[in-house]
Amino acid sequence: MNHAVNALVILALVVVGYFLPMAFGGGGAVYSAFVLIAIFAVMSYGLDLIVSDLGEVSLGHPVFFAAGAYATGIISVRLGLGPLPTLAASIGVAMLLAGVVGLITLKLREFVFSLVTYAVTVVGLTLAENWSFLGGSDGLTGIPLFQLDLGFAGYKAVTDKDLWPVAYVLLLAVLWLVSAFRRSTLGKAAMTVHLNPRLATMSGIDPQRTRLMVFLVSAPITASAGWLYAYQRAYISADVLSPYFLILMLTAVVIVGRGLLLAPLIGVALILVQEKFLSFGGYVDRIILGTALILTLAFLPGGIAGAFKAGFRYLRGKAASKSDTIEGGATEWR
Amino acid sequence: MNVGQQIINGLVLGHSFALVAIGWTVLLGVARLVNFAHGQMYMLGAFVTWAAIAEFGLPYMLAVPFSMVVGIMVGFLMQQVLLRLTLKQDLVSIMIVTLGFGHVLHGVAALVFGSTGQILDTPFSTKNVYYGDLWFTWQDVAIVMVAVIVFIALKTVLEKSRLGRIARMVAEDPKLALLGGIDVRKVYFGVFAFEGAAVALAGAVIGPRTPILTSMGFDEVIMTFVVVVLGGIGSVWGSYLAGISLGLFTAFFGALVSPAYTTPAAFLVLIAVLVLRPGGLAAKPGGH
Amino acid sequence: MSPVLELADLSVRYGGNRVLDIGALSLGQGEVVGVVGANGAGKSTLVNAALGWSRGAAKVSGRIALCGRDISRMPVQKRVGEGLCLIPEGKLIFGTMTVEENLAEGEDEPGDGRRTYGVDDVYALFPRLKERRGHLGSQLSGGERQMLGIGRALRLAPLALLLDEPSIGLAPKLVVTVLETVRELCADGLSVLLVEQNVKAAIAVVDRMILLERGRIVLEGPAAEMKDNPRIAEAYLGAQKR
Repeated sequence: MNHAVNALVILALVVVGYFLPMAFGGGGAVYSAFVLIAIFAVMSYGLDLIVSDLGEVSLGHPVFFAAGAYATGIISVRLGLGPLPTLAASIGVAMLLAGVVGLITLKLREFVFSLVTYAVTVVGLTLAENWSFLGGSDGLTGIPLFQLDLGFAGYKAVTDKDLWPVAYVLLLAVLWLVSAFRRSTLGKAAMTVHLNPRLATMSGIDPQRTRLMVFLVSAPITASAGWLYAYQRAYISADVLSPYFLILMLTAVVIVGRGLLLAPLIGVALILVQEKFLSFGGYVDRIILGTALILTLAFLPGGIAGAFKAGFRYLRGKAASKSDTIEGGATEWR
Repeated sequence: MNVGQQIINGLVLGHSFALVAIGWTVLLGVARLVNFAHGQMYMLGAFVTWAAIAEFGLPYMLAVPFSMVVGIMVGFLMQQVLLRLTLKQDLVSIMIVTLGFGHVLHGVAALVFGSTGQILDTPFSTKNVYYGDLWFTWQDVAIVMVAVIVFIALKTVLEKSRLGRIARMVAEDPKLALLGGIDVRKVYFGVFAFEGAAVALAGAVIGPRTPILTSMGFDEVIMTFVVVVLGGIGSVWGSYLAGISLGLFTAFFGALVSPAYTTPAAFLVLIAVLVLRPGGLAAKPGGH
Repeated sequence: MSPVLELADLSVRYGGNRVLDIGALSLGQGEVVGVVGANGAGKSTLVNAALGWSRGAAKVSGRIALCGRDISRMPVQKRVGEGLCLIPEGKLIFGTMTVEENLAEGEDEPGDGRRTYGVDDVYALFPRLKERRGHLGSQLSGGERQMLGIGRALRLAPLALLLDEPSIGLAPKLVVTVLETVRELCADGLSVLLVEQNVKAAIAVVDRMILLERGRIVLEGPAAEMKDNPRIAEAYLGAQKR
């Protein structure tokens, strides 16, 4: 019964979500913004698994994003293959890289882990700028249109409006994957390793293996965003490794509240709406984004959702001020 | 390849790396903090020096301390924002906040100074010295001298003065330092001020070697990280030696293999160190 | 004259749990009060809370007065500056610094007629430390560490000393030496709140004794009376069994 209601609500949300761009006027800019929101949300979900579930901060995820974008660019330009092979290649390359990075950082924790992953991004940037195989500083141009040909039916995306169904399906698939991950044995193991490493060891969970596995799940998610981004932009350069994407991902993951399924999506939407429709120019936008990240972490550890919850609890506490049961420490939630 | 010239390049580069890293070494050694905005603070140090000379007409010798004062103010501001997280020792959040700071600093610098490259000319950078087939500028000499002076001064202060003793107490055990009546927050402020001043000094002194851009700073963070890890976290002498080694390595790698890939090469060295001696990363308290 | 240290309605929470609840506790000048109780009774929590200090994330509320002045809103280092000093259990000295450096930080002009202890005074009290002045803290034995911990606290010209489990890991003879030194210091006017697992050793040097159970004071009285109290004996036996 409850399940049925839940399923109906989710189905309704899915349908409403699909028609949202239309509700906002359906113009080209609106569809572009929605496609980008979907792509960057998918990109952020990969990082979300590492930050919210594993409790580490990977600064190497732009590399996975770039891996998807570059794999797609190279294969579609040089081999002329379509979206399905490029998606497979994106995922494969990302998993390979994730395996290497995961193995190198297997024993590293906290800031050393983050520093090494950060170095991976900077090295990736240097390679992308200089290696002619990756197009060097010119990047890869002439990425063909997104064109699916399944024999019996075909789909060709000329504008962002045409790309929206693809982006939306990708987003839904990733949302499903993330929620399935959180219900899975691996997801629970990651949470245990994160919150209670001792219990994890006693329960027979191998923390290092868990970390590696989560990495292998996380990287393809971010890479699939790179895959679609390559088609959306039609060209790829070392820009995809710029710190902008890193800051965007991190902010999206923390700003609304860690560990909530829709939080990264809402976070990305907030950021992109500001940048696309309320922009003050690139540099000011950069300051706004950085400041949002700083303020969230320094003053709202639970994100916007956490602040709302705390505010709600405060109001309720005032109404029932006689009761002296204060839940100490309950403000720190993950 | 001119070996003598590469050794000179390597030594100058090495002292640059060491000088850029020193603020971080102290920050990590004493306060257990990492600062990803370090590279952007270096960039800011170079640009403030440039602006002080080009816009305000200050002589270089005054522009450098001016830039350091700005660096200290940036350090103070960061510490103000980070204070709560610092006392909680929430390293992960601190790290991300400093990344955000770097992003903001880049935005601010691009707004104020524009996004075009600039040349930071000083009275020393334009004077060349030729000795046989060797070449360097007086600015290179200044870099080496400043780095050596800063390292000796820091080492002396840490080991011989009350200030240094207090810093070492906080480095080893901030909670126990509290019981000694020490205001740990003041020490953290001091450490951030030093970080700000030192990296601004590095920007002001090393900036003249290359054209400066508001988008620079990433390579500096990676090189700093390599120096700090190679030298042993928090170790002052270690950082110095690691800086020089990395400088020589980079110079010869650039000359023999490819100058474009020096950062990846340094990173590979780092990975090798991490894999070969992961225990070497255990922070040695005390900042010796 | 008001007592040197006065605690009222002191309570401590860890997360949602109340781990300490003290109605009233006072420490007079020159007095040694012993705090005994089983493991986890809240002995360390009590002395830590008096200073507002903790290695964890404890939440303290209540009134704490030093010589009649409310210090409960002061940060830890300020309370130390006012003359309330703690020698914590476990890690109580700086291992990377020499004995001399450990003793270097001190209060030499505290005013208010507080008695100061110079480095030489500490060496006079613990000649062993003088012999090892150049050694690093990490090279010292358990007894030497305890002496250095007390010395470090004395350098801060304390009015009241909170001493947490000084006997842990020490040979019985050393326990006596350390505790007797504490007693001597009290003859000079210092007040001490002594947390001790070793009830037998404690009872020999304290004026009064407090028994804690589950964070509450369940028994309080002069040392002479407490000696024969069956509940103390029980606590003592409990400690022996460990």
